[in-house]
Amino acid sequence: MHWINWLIVAVYLVVVVFDGLRRTRGTTNIEGYFLANRSLPWWAVGLSVMATQLSAVTLIGTTGQGATDGLKFVQFYFGLPIAMVILGVTLVPFLHGAKVYTAYEYLERRFDPKTRSLTSLLFLLSRGMSCGTIIAAPSVVLSSIFGWDLLWCVALIGVPTVIYTVLGGVQAVAWADVKQMFVIAFALLAIVVVLIVRMPVPLDDALHIAGAAGRLQVFDFSFDLSKTYTFWSGILGGTFLMLSYFGTDQSQVQRYLAAKSVDEARSSLLMSAYWKIPLQALILLTGVLVFLFYLFQPAPLLYNPRHDAQVAQQDPTVYADLQARYGSAIAIRQAAARAASDAQRAGDDAAIGAALGTFKTSEAAVTAVRTEALAAAERVTGEASRDVNYIIPRFVLDHLPLGFAGVFLAAVLAAAMSSIAAELNSLSTATVVDFYQRWVKPTASDAHYLNVSKMATALWGVFACIVATYAATLGSLIEVVNRFGSFFYGSILGIFLLAMIPRVRALGAFIGLLSGMGAVAAVAIGVPSVSFLWHNLIGAAVVVAVGYVLSLGAAPAAQRS
Amino acid sequence: MTPPFRTTLWRVMGLQVVALVLLWLLQSRYSS
Repeated sequence: MHWINWLIVAVYLVVVVFDGLRRTRGTTNIEGYFLANRSLPWWAVGLSVMATQLSAVTLIGTTGQGATDGLKFVQFYFGLPIAMVILGVTLVPFLHGAKVYTAYEYLERRFDPKTRSLTSLLFLLSRGMSCGTIIAAPSVVLSSIFGWDLLWCVALIGVPTVIYTVLGGVQAVAWADVKQMFVIAFALLAIVVVLIVRMPVPLDDALHIAGAAGRLQVFDFSFDLSKTYTFWSGILGGTFLMLSYFGTDQSQVQRYLAAKSVDEARSSLLMSAYWKIPLQALILLTGVLVFLFYLFQPAPLLYNPRHDAQVAQQDPTVYADLQARYGSAIAIRQAAARAASDAQRAGDDAAIGAALGTFKTSEAAVTAVRTEALAAAERVTGEASRDVNYIIPRFVLDHLPLGFAGVFLAAVLAAAMSSIAAELNSLSTATVVDFYQRWVKPTASDAHYLNVSKMATALWGVFACIVATYAATLGSLIEVVNRFGSFFYGSILGIFLLAMIPRVRALGAFIGLLSGMGAVAAVAIGVPSVSFLWHNLIGAAVVVAVGYVLSLGAAPAAQRS
Repeated sequence: MTPPFRTTLWRVMGLQVVALVLLWLLQSRYSS
């Protein structure tokens, strides 16, 4: 990569770390460190929430998914606005008014210490592991693209993040997020502009071709529990997932607890909802445009350059054969795409239909060769070979003008760092408030807790980097960890729902929580075809049902002050 | 100054509806 690109990346890293160091002035106690003294304006909190949401996995994985599967993934977010409204009316004013540091601190007031501790522990486990995978995913991609040692990639992402998060707390995190959103937005805009400008056929024609390839199918109204992305799984399952994530996950809750007032907390939450669906649609559409771009340019057989090199080296005969067949398949597809575009221009419906039909057949042939190539890569490397995450980085490095690759790399780092920083901060908060302060040292000076908080942030950062190094070598562990998290989310939401029902008692809530997790485990193992998006609804429902039933017949316990 | 919650709510919902309508139109026009 050209030195100008590296310069852009270096400037970005220096600015972010320097800004974090600047913010240490506002963090002399733990209220400043964890909650920014509750002084963040609503728009900064909102942008920060959006940046946290937009991880590097979204930037490179979701765009890649748009290229291979089209727009239907956007259905995953249909429940988000509904969840935001429900939270804005119920949980947000509740938790903000309770003046707590963690969402779980409230659970002790409502139920008992063991419910608080268990819920917080579940959060620490799932978030700690997921923090590692958020570092691992882009590190693996960078390692493959640039040929660097994985450890250096993990360090490139992890070390600056840990520095500004440890030193500056949530102030540094939130203001870094604001800058990072601009970097990310600029990078995405640059990609889209280049794609549109360099499309060799009119955009309207190109979109018809994308439609023929199924890339513009957004809505799927089939009620099929085994399909992951349908309208219903998004609206129902997705609502519960978003309720749980935005309402009860400390990494999100901490952000709106840091807002100046309840109204600002609600507004900041809604701001994340504002742009989520349009932003995800645009990100997916970017992937669709990249797919279209590669219809008219030579596309790589394998987007992961490391896998490509290994197959070429270790199985040259198979590789040469695949390349030859791929070359002719994409040439046929390119001709079909151009014919479809010409037919569009001529306006002849019959010719358009025929041309798009030919295109679909050629697209299927290309996909077949790619599938063979991916199987060969898996056989040769012994790793999972799905290369969706490499499509956009390859496009950026091969085709964007000078400087833009640097901006994109800075955006990938920005996306990763904003997500990791929020998670580290919240892991530290829960560790210090829910465990250290609660069980180890209930009384100490603020300065003492501040130092412990910084140490906890650093330790979680190191833990996340270690997990990242191992996660990367165990390919599908990323998938496992994400599904691991989905075991808990619904159940944790169930606990907070129970908290709002006055009749429910502590023992019922605790057993309900265990039952919810058990039910989800039973479904995940016993009926694996059920999409994981439904696990959240199942977990929440079981927790609420069991907790409520076990509390029936007992007088509601007086709430602790 | 922060807009009132209700104003933000209407704007958010409105934007989501607009986004969904645009996606529907995109699908209707281009998917075959």
